[in-house]
Amino acid sequence: MKEYFKIAIKNLKARSLRSWLTILGIIIGVFLIVSLLSLSEGLKMTVMQQLRMMGKDVLIVFPGELSEITATILGGMKLSEEDTKVIKKVEGVELVIPMAWKGEAMRYEGKTKIVLLCGYPRKEAQELFESDLGWSLAEGDWPLPGKREIIVGNLVPKEFFPGMKPGTKAYIKGREFLVTGILKSLGSKQDDSMVGLDLEVFREITGERKGAQFAFVKIKSGFDPEKVAEKIKNALETTQKRRPGKETLAFSVLTNEKAGSIAGSILIIIQIIVFAFASIAILVGGIGIMNTMFTSVRERTREIGIMKAIGAKNSEILIIFLIEAGIIGLIGGLGGTILGISFARAIETYGQVHPLFYFHASITPGLIIFGFLFSFFVGCFSGFLPARRAARLKPVEALRYFE
Amino acid sequence: MVEPLIKLENVWKIYQLGKVELTVLKEMNLEINRGSFVSIIGPSGSGKSTLLNIIGCLDIPTKGKIFLDGQDIQKLSEDELAKIRGKKIGFVFQQFNLLPNLTAIENVVLPMVFQKIPEEKRFGRAKKLLEMVGLGERIFHKPAELSGGEQQRVAIARALANNPEMLITDEPTGNLDSKSGEMIMEILKELYQKGERTIIVVTHDPQIASFSKEVVHIKDGQIVSDHEAMKKVLWLRENSRSI
Repeated sequence: MKEYFKIAIKNLKARSLRSWLTILGIIIGVFLIVSLLSLSEGLKMTVMQQLRMMGKDVLIVFPGELSEITATILGGMKLSEEDTKVIKKVEGVELVIPMAWKGEAMRYEGKTKIVLLCGYPRKEAQELFESDLGWSLAEGDWPLPGKREIIVGNLVPKEFFPGMKPGTKAYIKGREFLVTGILKSLGSKQDDSMVGLDLEVFREITGERKGAQFAFVKIKSGFDPEKVAEKIKNALETTQKRRPGKETLAFSVLTNEKAGSIAGSILIIIQIIVFAFASIAILVGGIGIMNTMFTSVRERTREIGIMKAIGAKNSEILIIFLIEAGIIGLIGGLGGTILGISFARAIETYGQVHPLFYFHASITPGLIIFGFLFSFFVGCFSGFLPARRAARLKPVEALRYFE
Repeated sequence: MVEPLIKLENVWKIYQLGKVELTVLKEMNLEINRGSFVSIIGPSGSGKSTLLNIIGCLDIPTKGKIFLDGQDIQKLSEDELAKIRGKKIGFVFQQFNLLPNLTAIENVVLPMVFQKIPEEKRFGRAKKLLEMVGLGERIFHKPAELSGGEQQRVAIARALANNPEMLITDEPTGNLDSKSGEMIMEILKELYQKGERTIIVVTHDPQIASFSKEVVHIKDGQIVSDHEAMKKVLWLRENSRSI
């Protein structure tokens, strides 16, 4: 077997430019597969991690259909005070936390920037946020209810107002606020850029007196989140219908599980598409291998005849050619995997430095092994037909062959 | 009676070229005994190379039977034929037919690889064979770096790698100058004298045939007794060198 490897390598070296070009084709294919899979897997992990931070007994209620979520957000549809009350009355609901947000200019040490203000009922929400949404303090203290105090996401002192510290003052709409604390990262750029304050104060300074964009609902223990979600939806929609002279508005209630499965299925579609495109690249590479191997069989017909004359069995000829194709695949796989991983790492680093998005590249041993095996398999598979043709050549005819 | 090494019974070889049938060998009967030195002579196109391919298990007859060591060749599978070629037969071709990417010694080692000879034995034996044909100094050269005569000597060493019973050579001097050709013939003669190896040489050159003990003359795919050609061979043998 070792000898066959030696022969195969010598044959590859003898047509080194062609071999390298074929290898390059595989490198590109494997590079695409490895980098895209690692990035899409990383995306999935990031999203799932965020979802995991939300407790299982917490629901999100927002107006409008889930499929029209963009319209809902951009259109400024809101949950009314009445809606909140309806939710509260549903059996199994322990707590309703309406969440309101608005972009406002904030001034700190002479600099003014637009920040996302997030108003929430401080008192009621505290426990839910800490235990179910993963809020925790990096520095300072929680703000007090009813006071002009703010808590900021961990990106605010990094990106918006460098050096912002608890105990300092910031100004929103000309009013003075005390920065009481800085949160630890919540795992998403949006959450980490937010400025949180008590809902009452939020309403007072923004003038948005009513409503909330969505609400968190905490369920009493012992109740099935899916069933409570169904009841909330029904209760909200029934109330809507009773109200005269108004369009009926739909509501969506997301459970953790549902959100996970929606995100999961979208991500799986992304992964399938990514994989399909990368596979096309590999396929092209495989055709390259097949092409170069067929050419090689034709060029070396005489050599094959010679090897048969001195005692090579069909299977031995087959193996020599398969090894050649396999080596092309394997080297391509090695190069492609290294390049792909480097690329994914580069993207990840860029994402950390650049305040656009959080990104985690998932590079698992499984992915690396997959990259290798896949390319080796593609190599052998593409090499099989040419190798079989070589193995089946009749010795006399092969010896008589002249180029 | 001693069983012949090779026995051909009514062997026909017919090639189908489109709609035309080309009969290359006609009802050929031939016996070659163990340890003989046989020349097959005849003009080009007479079918001598085809005969050699059939004797060498590279090709199978269209009709008729061929026995090697009493074994019916036509009943063997491709792999069994490959094994016979590797073990019992050594080939030397007019075109040398060395593998261009391998060095001289790797070329000689290759038949032993196919016969699964243990690795530690291969190199030593290959080196010895190359020394025997006078190429001990050039074992790591590639065919392109060797002269025609040297390449043919590598080919002889390769043919002997598995110590075959039979050495089959097809116009071994056809691509060589007369001096190199003579050297090759001397090596073949020595091989014949040393052991009981059967040597078969295909040639169109009576001078070459004069080295051998027996001459088979082929014309139009049949063995003929051509007195003129025979006389020439015999005369050459008497007057130049004899074995």
